Amino acid sequence: MASATANAPPSLSLPPSQFARLQPHAYLLAHLSPPPASNQPSIRANGRAPSQFRVTSANAGSLTHTNGSAVVRIGDTAAVCGVRAEILHTDDIASWSVSESSTAASTAKHQHLADLSDHPTKENKDVDQDSDAADDEDRAHVQGLNLLVPNLSLSTGCAPGFTPGAPPSALAQSLSHQILSLLHSTRLVRADDLRIWYQPPNLGPEDIEPHNEDEQMDVDADQSGSAENRQPREIKAFWVLYIDVMIISLAGNPFDAAWASVLAALRDTKLPKAWWDVDNEMVLCSDDLTQAYGLSLRGLPVASSFCVFEADAAAGWRAVVIPDAGEQKKGSQSRWILADPDGYEEGLGQERACVVVDKDNDGKGKTVIVKMEKHGGWTVDSADLRQLVDISAKRWDDMKRILDQC
Amino acid sequence: MAASLPSLAIPGQRLGPASSYSAGPGTHVQQSSIYASIAGPVCLDPAQPKIQAKATLRVSRVATSKYQTRNPQAGAVAAAQPKPRYNTLPAVDSIVLARVTRVQKRQVAVSILVVLDDTPSVGADPSRTASDNDNVASILTSAANPENHSNTDELRFQALIRKEDVRAVEKDRVVMDDMFRVGDIVRGSVISLGDQSFYYITTARNDLGVVMARSEAGNMMFPVSWKEMRDPLTGVGEPRKVARPF
Amino acid sequence: MTDRRRINGPPGGTRPAVYASLLQSATGAADRAQRQRQPTDLRKIFLKTGLIPSASGSSYLEFEPSASLAAARANPKSLIPPSSALKLACTVHGPKPLPRSATFSPNLVLTTHVKYAPFAARRRKGHIRDASERDLGVHLETALRGAIIAERWPKSGLDITLTIIEAEDDRWWGDAPDSHDASWGMMNVLAGCITAASAALADAHIDCLDLVSGGVAALVSEDMTGSSGPPRLVLDTDPAEHRSIVSACVVAYMPARDEITELWLKGDSSKAALEDDDKRPGHEALIDGAVDAARGAHTVLGQAVRESIARTVGSA
Repeated sequence: MASATANAPPSLSLPPSQFARLQPHAYLLAHLSPPPASNQPSIRANGRAPSQFRVTSANAGSLTHTNGSAVVRIGDTAAVCGVRAEILHTDDIASWSVSESSTAASTAKHQHLADLSDHPTKENKDVDQDSDAADDEDRAHVQGLNLLVPNLSLSTGCAPGFTPGAPPSALAQSLSHQILSLLHSTRLVRADDLRIWYQPPNLGPEDIEPHNEDEQMDVDADQSGSAENRQPREIKAFWVLYIDVMIISLAGNPFDAAWASVLAALRDTKLPKAWWDVDNEMVLCSDDLTQAYGLSLRGLPVASSFCVFEADAAAGWRAVVIPDAGEQKKGSQSRWILADPDGYEEGLGQERACVVVDKDNDGKGKTVIVKMEKHGGWTVDSADLRQLVDISAKRWDDMKRILDQC
Repeated sequence: MAASLPSLAIPGQRLGPASSYSAGPGTHVQQSSIYASIAGPVCLDPAQPKIQAKATLRVSRVATSKYQTRNPQAGAVAAAQPKPRYNTLPAVDSIVLARVTRVQKRQVAVSILVVLDDTPSVGADPSRTASDNDNVASILTSAANPENHSNTDELRFQALIRKEDVRAVEKDRVVMDDMFRVGDIVRGSVISLGDQSFYYITTARNDLGVVMARSEAGNMMFPVSWKEMRDPLTGVGEPRKVARPF
Repeated sequence: MTDRRRINGPPGGTRPAVYASLLQSATGAADRAQRQRQPTDLRKIFLKTGLIPSASGSSYLEFEPSASLAAARANPKSLIPPSSALKLACTVHGPKPLPRSATFSPNLVLTTHVKYAPFAARRRKGHIRDASERDLGVHLETALRGAIIAERWPKSGLDITLTIIEAEDDRWWGDAPDSHDASWGMMNVLAGCITAASAALADAHIDCLDLVSGGVAALVSEDMTGSSGPPRLVLDTDPAEHRSIVSACVVAYMPARDEITELWLKGDSSKAALEDDDKRPGHEALIDGAVDAARGAHTVLGQAVRESIARTVGSA
C-alpha cells in the first residue's frame, strides 16, 4: 500500500480480481510483460503461454435422436453438435431434370465412388484425385441443392448478453455461415454418400427382387458387369444433413469449438441404407445397423483461432497521425498473438486470425492450408502468419488424437 | 448450542429455533425456525450487547476467510481453484467502483463494476474486502461480451452522481467537466436505490471520487491534490474530484 | 416466409426417414421396451452444478437411460432407439439490471425460457420456440416463483434458460408414430427442468425458501386391449415403456415446507387401481405419487448442491 509517489499506479491496492475488472487491458499487459527484475515468464492472465491452447476434450455419439453427435469442450467453451439426416426427393427439387440423375458417364464414376465409400478402410488416395467433372457435380449437388444445413445457436444462456428466444445474433449468423462455407470449401462431405439411387429393374430374372437383403444394390450393379444392358441408374433422393450446433457454454473462441464438434459429429454420423420403393413411391430405410454406413469425409480440417493483444492499441494509429510520437518503449514487446483466446482476451483485441489446416496422408504428409483469415488490424505480417500455420499444424496433431479417441 | 449447527447448509435446511438466534443474511424464518435460503457455510455472529440480545445466524456468500488468505494476492491466477461466486446487489451505503459513461451538466452516469463491502470505511484491509465478483477465473471467461461492447453496460447496474452529490463543499460551484471524464473509475457510496433504472451515488467524502483516470494523452495519471491528477509522462495536470489515496 | 437469419435447407422441404420395418407390421421388428424397475423405483439422476463459468449459476442434468436404451447402446443392432433419456443444461444469469423500458419492481423479475435443441426429439424441432416450449417455460416459472424470495433482489432481473439436449419420448415409437394424443414426455421434461433450475439457482446464490424439485407419476394401463384394464400407479414413468398412459401428474415440491408450487395433472385419473385399503381418490394418489418422486429427486438435488458448496469451501 504505497502512498502516492510519482509514476506509481493509482495507489489503491486492489485485489487482482477487481483490477482485472476495472483495468482489463492493464491487467493482461501486466501478466504478459512482467517487470524484467521479477524474472517471471511472460504468461497470459489465464496461465497459458501465448501459443498454448486450452485443454480440449471430445465425446461422440451420446445423443439418441441423431444420426451422429458430438460434444466438444475447449476449456470452458462447450459445443454440442447433432447431425440429423432427412430425405430430399428429387421430385421436390424444382430445377431437377432426369438427365441430371442418370448421365451415363457420371454413373460409372459414382459407382466407383460408391464402392469406395462402402469400404472406408481402403486407401482413399485415388478418390482425392477424382476428375474435375465429378468434382463439379459433387459441388453442384452438395452446394447447389443445400444438402448440408449447419446452424449454430448461441441463445442457450451460454453467456450473459445473448437474449434467449431472440433471433440469432450477428455472431451466431456469422458463425453458421463460416461453418457452411468451410464445409463447402473443404468439400468435407462427398455428394455420393448423400445420394439415394434407384436401379430400374431389368428383364433379367436376377433383378426381379431389386433389393435383396444381403447385398448392397450398388455392389450388385457393379459386379454383374453388364451395365450397358441395364437401365441407367437414377438418383431418386438425397440425404440432407441438418447440422445443429448448440453452444452450451461460451468462454471465447466459439468457432474452433463449433467446428470441432461438427467434424466429430460428422465422423460419428451413420446413414441408414436407403432405397426407392416403387410400390410405395417413397424412399425406405433399413434400421439394420450393419447395413448403415458412415460418411467418408475428405480429410480432417482443423481450425485454430488467434487474437492479437497490443500493449498500446493506439500506437499504430499514432504513428500515422503523429510520425514522431511512439517508439518510446523500444525493446519491450508491444504485441502478442494469443492462441485460442478466452472471452476476456477476445474483448481486448480487435485483430483476429483463423487458420484451418489439414495434413495429407493421415498426418504424415505435408500440411495443407484450407482457410486463412485475418482481419481487424495490421500488426500481423506474413512471417507471423507462417508461424501461425506452424502452430496450427501442431494443433492438428493434438486434435486428431483427441478426435480419434472419441 | 453452537455445536448443533451444521457447517454447511443448503436452502430449506433448518438451522435453529428463532427463539435463540436472530436471522441474518442468507436465512429466513418459517414457523419460528430459522432456515437457510442459500447454500453456503453457516456462520454465527456473536450477540452484541445492547443492540442485539441474540446471536445472528447467517449463511455466508463468501468462502471462509481461511480460504481467502490462501489465494495469492498478486500474480498468476490459480487457474484450477474454484472460487465462490456470489451476487451482491448495490444497497444503501454500499461502496462501489464504477466507470463513468456519460458526463452531463447536472449529473454523470456511471456503470457499477464492483460492489465492495457494506462497511462505510473501506480502507482498513482491501484484500479482505468481501468483493462481490471475486472469481478471477469467471471474470476471465466472461468479462468481455463478444457480441457487442455497448451491450456490456446494459448488463451492469447504472447509477447517477448528481451535481449536488459530487462534493461536500462549494456544491454550487461544481463544474461537472472538471470533476469526471468518461472512462474514469470512481469510488462512490450508494445513497438511494433510485428509480427503475438508476441508483444514486455520492462522492461527497474525502475517500470518495476518482481513483483511476487516464490523461488526454492516454496515460494513467496519479493524484496530486484533492482536485488534480497528473500525467507522469507529459506532466500535464487535469482537474478531477480525486479520492484521497490511502 | 423463409428465415433469412438462419441457413435453410432445400426450399422444397425434406422428409424424415421412413424405416421399412415399421411399414411391414404395426408392432415393428423390435419389441416394446419393458419397464424393469418396480413401480416405485426412480431412475437415477445425474446432476452437476457450476459447469458454465460465465453464468452466475448453472447445472447439467441427465436421467439414467432406461434398461432397454442401455441395452441398445451396449449392443447396437437397430438405428431406431428404443427410448431416450433426458439431458438438459440450465443457466441462470443475474441478478442484473432490468431493461430500460421496464417499470420499477421492488422484487426480482424472473424470466424463464425453455428450448429444445433441434435434434432433441424424435421429430426435428424448429429453431423458433413453439407453443409447447412456451408452455413449459410458463410452468417452470410458476414452479420457481413460489420458491424464490424475490423481495431480496429489488429492481433486478433473473434469466433462467434451459436447453433440452435430449428429450423424453412422448410414447413408444412403434405406436403409431404420427399420433400425438398427449405429450407425456413433456411432463418428464418439466420435472427435469424444475430440478435442474433449482440447482442452478442454488449455484447462483439466489435466496430460496427451499430446493424445489420436480417429480412425475402416472397411471398406466399395460393391458394390450388398451385402457380397459384398471390402470396402475407408477412413479417416474418413461412413456416409451408403457402401452397406454391414462393420466399423469407433475409437481414442483418443497419438502422442507411440504408445499407444492406447481401442479400439472393431465388425463382421467378416476379409475386408478389402488390397494384395497387405499381409499384415496385417483387424483390424490397420483399427486402423492408425484410428490414421492419429487422427494427422490430432492435427495439428489440436495447432494449436488452440497457437493458444489463443499468444492468451493472444502478446498480451503
